Amino acid sequence: MNESQFNLSNLIKSGLGLFLIALPAIAFGHTIEGSDASFVEAIDGPAIFPFMYLGAKHMVTGYDHLLFLVGVIFFLYRPKHVIQYVTLFAIGHSITLLFGVIADLQVNAYFIDTIIGLSIVYKAFENIDGFKRVFGFEPNTKIAVLVFGLFHGLGLATKLQEFDLSDNGLVTNIISFNIGVEIGQILALSAVFILLSLWRTSISYLRHAFITNTALMAGGFLLAGYQISAYVLQPLY
Amino acid sequence: MSNDIPVNAPDPKSILKASAIALVVAAIVTITVILPAEFGSDPLGTGEALGLTVLSKDANPFEEQLEVHRTDFVEFELGAFQSVEYKYLMDLEAAMVFSWVADGEVYYDMHAEPAGFDEEYAESFEQGNNTRQMGSFHAPFSGIHGWFWENRSLDTVTVRLYTSGFYVSSTVFRDGGTFDRQLDSIVD
Repeated sequence: MNESQFNLSNLIKSGLGLFLIALPAIAFGHTIEGSDASFVEAIDGPAIFPFMYLGAKHMVTGYDHLLFLVGVIFFLYRPKHVIQYVTLFAIGHSITLLFGVIADLQVNAYFIDTIIGLSIVYKAFENIDGFKRVFGFEPNTKIAVLVFGLFHGLGLATKLQEFDLSDNGLVTNIISFNIGVEIGQILALSAVFILLSLWRTSISYLRHAFITNTALMAGGFLLAGYQISAYVLQPLY
Repeated sequence: MSNDIPVNAPDPKSILKASAIALVVAAIVTITVILPAEFGSDPLGTGEALGLTVLSKDANPFEEQLEVHRTDFVEFELGAFQSVEYKYLMDLEAAMVFSWVADGEVYYDMHAEPAGFDEEYAESFEQGNNTRQMGSFHAPFSGIHGWFWENRSLDTVTVRLYTSGFYVSSTVFRDGGTFDRQLDSIVD
């Protein structure tokens, strides 16, 4: 890849697109809000389908999780590989989501969301062969996806923990939420995979791969920057 | 990850350059746009220049009210299975605080009817069976706002209502008839 492929106007074009995609996430933050929040607070007892819906909604509208998955499947061409990696991601986040809520694990939400932002940077950096070419080694991609899955799950657990969840039906509700997360993930991933596959048939895919992943990196840094700013500047009350 | 198809590997220099640009772009956007728009911090004055600082202004806890301040106390005696409706005429955004206490359980329905519509357009906010309720109310539209109480027991129950707010007048709906109550302002 030569210098000319890395021209600024292409970067700006792809960057702008990604930025617009990420904007709603930045504008609204990514928490459970409004009437959904009052529902979660009020519920006492098992509520399988509402929690499934909330889990799916959280995933489909969760730009941080989606950007990470775009990075993960960017260079996966075979559905078999997509399923492998996404299963690893799902195992990772299921473990920490279930364990985190049941064990009442309290983690700073800004910290976790910063890590999630940086996981996007990591994945994009890996996609442009950053580790191999710059540092001369390749971390195991499967283990990386699993580990970041653990962090994403901790993020989900933290969002749910912000509510005073009733112990009555807790396990049922968390498992329902988790199943919803997987459903939402399959829905979102199918859309992303189809779009990427369409784009792959055009010659511009590989040409823009480098720039797109650079933009993905910028998006990850931006989400991390947002969370760090929130941690530093948010009033304490 | 790029095992499926060989890709022309970029050289380390452009990888580092791209990463640095990504970091710098994110930092610039964070400092010039996100900080002023979300957190009310504007280190470079870009938020002021782009008019973004308005986004991070918190809602003012103070809210001016235009109607004069009135208070009201009213008492209803409800025989077995009798009911009454009591509503205040309030403008959009007008507020009041209230408490009602009954010496026996009653069915209540706090609701409102927007001005200029038929009675069937009533919007209900809160229903249940109780002996008391306290609350604050913020009129979501102009119209009449208040309660329906029904004594569903065989004993006589007395409901006492205490309110203070920015309503204009009140109306009692009882036994098929209505009558208005004139309420005095507390300041004159």
